[in-house]
Amino acid sequence: MLVLTAFTLTAVDYRSSGDSSAFDAVRRGSDTLFGPAQRAVGGAVNGIGDALDGITRVGRDGDKDDKLQAEIDRLRTQLLETDGLRRQLAEQQSLLQMKDTGGYTLTAARVISVGSSLGFEWTATIDLGTRDGITEGATVVNGKGLVGRVKRVGPYTSVVVLLVDSEVTVGVRLIRSGQLGLVTGQGQTGLTYQLIGERARAEIGDAMYTSGSTFKAGIPVGRVTSTSNNPNSPTLTGTLEPFVDVTALDLVAVVLDGPRRTPRSAVIPTPLPSPSPRPSPSPSPSPR
Amino acid sequence: MTTRRFLLAAAAVLTALLLQDTALTQLPLPGAAPDLLLVLVVAYALVEGPLSGMTTGFVAGLLADSLADHALGRLALAYAVVGYATGFIEDDTDRSTLLPFVAVAAGAVGAVLLFAGVGMLLGDPRVTLHAVGRSLASSVPYSVVLTPFVVPVLGALVRRIEPDPIRR
Repeated sequence: MLVLTAFTLTAVDYRSSGDSSAFDAVRRGSDTLFGPAQRAVGGAVNGIGDALDGITRVGRDGDKDDKLQAEIDRLRTQLLETDGLRRQLAEQQSLLQMKDTGGYTLTAARVISVGSSLGFEWTATIDLGTRDGITEGATVVNGKGLVGRVKRVGPYTSVVVLLVDSEVTVGVRLIRSGQLGLVTGQGQTGLTYQLIGERARAEIGDAMYTSGSTFKAGIPVGRVTSTSNNPNSPTLTGTLEPFVDVTALDLVAVVLDGPRRTPRSAVIPTPLPSPSPRPSPSPSPSPR
Repeated sequence: MTTRRFLLAAAAVLTALLLQDTALTQLPLPGAAPDLLLVLVVAYALVEGPLSGMTTGFVAGLLADSLADHALGRLALAYAVVGYATGFIEDDTDRSTLLPFVAVAAGAVGAVLLFAGVGMLLGDPRVTLHAVGRSLASSVPYSVVLTPFVVPVLGALVRRIEPDPIRR
């Protein structure tokens, strides 16, 4: 019975995807119900992670130097908190930098949960929804680069399909040479790229940014880690390491409005202040 | 079957659902994240039998489906079948310490294959041979690691409410 029901549900939902599905109401219901709970638990889990180290130490106090030990533990906990705050501050600053140099209008959001559905899909839930003006299809970034695209918007939360999801294809441009290509997610292992044109060339370490089709233009995507030289193939393929680490997403931002035109060298000052410790995707003049 | 047992099942499923995406998927582990819901479904099936396992699986899967980004019912189908099948593993669970691990591992394999199979029928671009292999290689060991934390705890909770659970 239940198996049949599940099959029917899947079939009906699949057929009606695209148009407004009858199950949209169900999803919206879940988003409304679970959204606030996820927000609460997500926030608590982050806090617990930061404080856990301190607590375990407090529990292991000896009997002699109780006071001193307690003092050390307190200070250590404070230090951890400071480290956490420092990291958050750095994330905020790099976001601000991107906003200023790229001319984007950003709304900051926090990632409250990451879904993987047995490892086949990679989505993140953020704590912004229709009430905050989020729309479907909006580009999501963090200070390091492209995070993904908003797929579904609930009242309090939205679901973002992450860059590494195999459903996502990003139109990219090689920063150094300006060549166009496509980047496809490969699950958590990373990304692959295809550069169009027989004379396409890429070197390890080359950075790519979005060329601006389904995603806003000019956002750093990743760095080339390998190229395959198949002389018979009309395209150049290889793997790309994303600038964004999807397992450590915290502060992100939804791009509400991009710059009027694709950012060029005139818009992004050269050299771009490094947004990450990785080799900075310094833009070269776009090809004329 | 009592109201209290129903409440316990509901609480367990909701807790697992919330912990799954807010905590477990954010662990920096390679491959798929550990699947707490799956382990919970198998744990229910082992304690209460195929019908309870199937119902728990269906409900848990459907809730997870509604929060995820694929056609509704895919996880519901996978978990329901896994719950039903592992429910037939006999009550030797109390004697053999190895059995829950085997059941969970088999359940994980079954769930991944069912989820991927339906995805393949629907032409889901996310389901490739490579992705299935990677999912199996990570979700089976992770689920087995979760087993000792979930199965005995759930068994104890169920027995506390009902000392001699009727297997259905």
